[in-house]
Amino acid sequence: MKKIVFSLFIVLILVILAVAGCNQSAEVPGEETSTCVICHSDKDMLKQTASVVEEKVSEETSGEG
Amino acid sequence: MEDTHGKVGCVICHGGDSSLEDKELAHAGVIADPSDVSCDTCHSDVAHANAISLHTTLEGFKTALETRGCDFDTCEEMNLAFENHCDSCHTSCGQCHISRPDETGGGLVSSHEIRETPSTQYNCIACHGSRVGAEYLGENAGIPADVHWTKATMTCTKCHGEELHDSGQDTDTRYDNPNTVRCEDCHEDVWTNTEDNPQHEQHLSDLQCQVCHSISYKNCYGCHVSIDEEGIPCRVSEPSQMDFEIGYNPIRSSERPYEYVVLRHVPTCADTCDYYGSNLISNFNAAPTWKYATPHNIQLHTPQNESCEACHGNSDIFLTEEDIRAEELDANQGVIVKEIPSP
Repeated sequence: MKKIVFSLFIVLILVILAVAGCNQSAEVPGEETSTCVICHSDKDMLKQTASVVEEKVSEETSGEG
Repeated sequence: MEDTHGKVGCVICHGGDSSLEDKELAHAGVIADPSDVSCDTCHSDVAHANAISLHTTLEGFKTALETRGCDFDTCEEMNLAFENHCDSCHTSCGQCHISRPDETGGGLVSSHEIRETPSTQYNCIACHGSRVGAEYLGENAGIPADVHWTKATMTCTKCHGEELHDSGQDTDTRYDNPNTVRCEDCHEDVWTNTEDNPQHEQHLSDLQCQVCHSISYKNCYGCHVSIDEEGIPCRVSEPSQMDFEIGYNPIRSSERPYEYVVLRHVPTCADTCDYYGSNLISNFNAAPTWKYATPHNIQLHTPQNESCEACHGNSDIFLTEEDIRAEELDANQGVIVKEIPSP
């Protein structure tokens, strides 16, 4: 009887571990990137900090080529 | 962030330290376009192949200039001209697969999405828009778009795929690339079944496909490069002209055995680089200014393939001495058609 109870207990433990494992989200490498994305997807912050890129196309350029 | 690149994180490609809160410290060492240092970590096969592609080496430009006597080994003026006016056409992995090319202003195409297939509009035509792009989409007044676009909406990469990354060897021009696309890759039946088409039966070996199936295309003239008063490189060229000219094949080979091909005028002239020094293009006549061309405005029916007489005896569509500027006559002797095929 003891053996049966013990076996059932082991099976129960294994089932619990398996279920817990399925629900746990896989660790994604690079998740630390969220700190980059927080700033780089904040449009207001980007507008405030981005430098103005100066157009470097000469007004004297003309024609096709 | 959903795709594979998003999951590996920003720092792996761009550098920096995302664990730091201080903006300056976190961004130390960040590379905006890390194409040259990061892509080959995972994509070594493509990156190494691309390292010798013409998009990377610009060898096509150099070949054309060196053939005409430009000396890149010793001539500092020529190297400076090339650096100011040609080098910017160099592209990188990111400038095809993530952003628009720097030369056309840059900017992400679709957020930071990394697109396996570049955008025809924002990548390919951004650089190749003046001639083949406009031809392909039918943007030249009165000239219809290419049939591959109007009938099948084929984007550039439907034909131009493997050749863009992998020539398999150092190449001097795009026509040297053994992986370059050929019409028969798709239209094999044209070569294997000529019984129903006497024109194909007669001309497959001596005419480039475009001779019969292309129409007027853009030709450029008189490009001069310099630095303006603000120190910015600039160029001025004459108005382009729409024209269609059949001439002798200047690059005849076993791969391109045709006697007749269509020719496009290049914008280069003898004094194109004179701002930087006199006679930098010292052997201008060494290569024709009407060069082998593959216009991207293919049609099934064209004015010259309506009948035998539409081409034979029709001097309007052949490059003759009357079509050549006096100062370019010597350079083009090898491609000028001296005797128009008789009717």
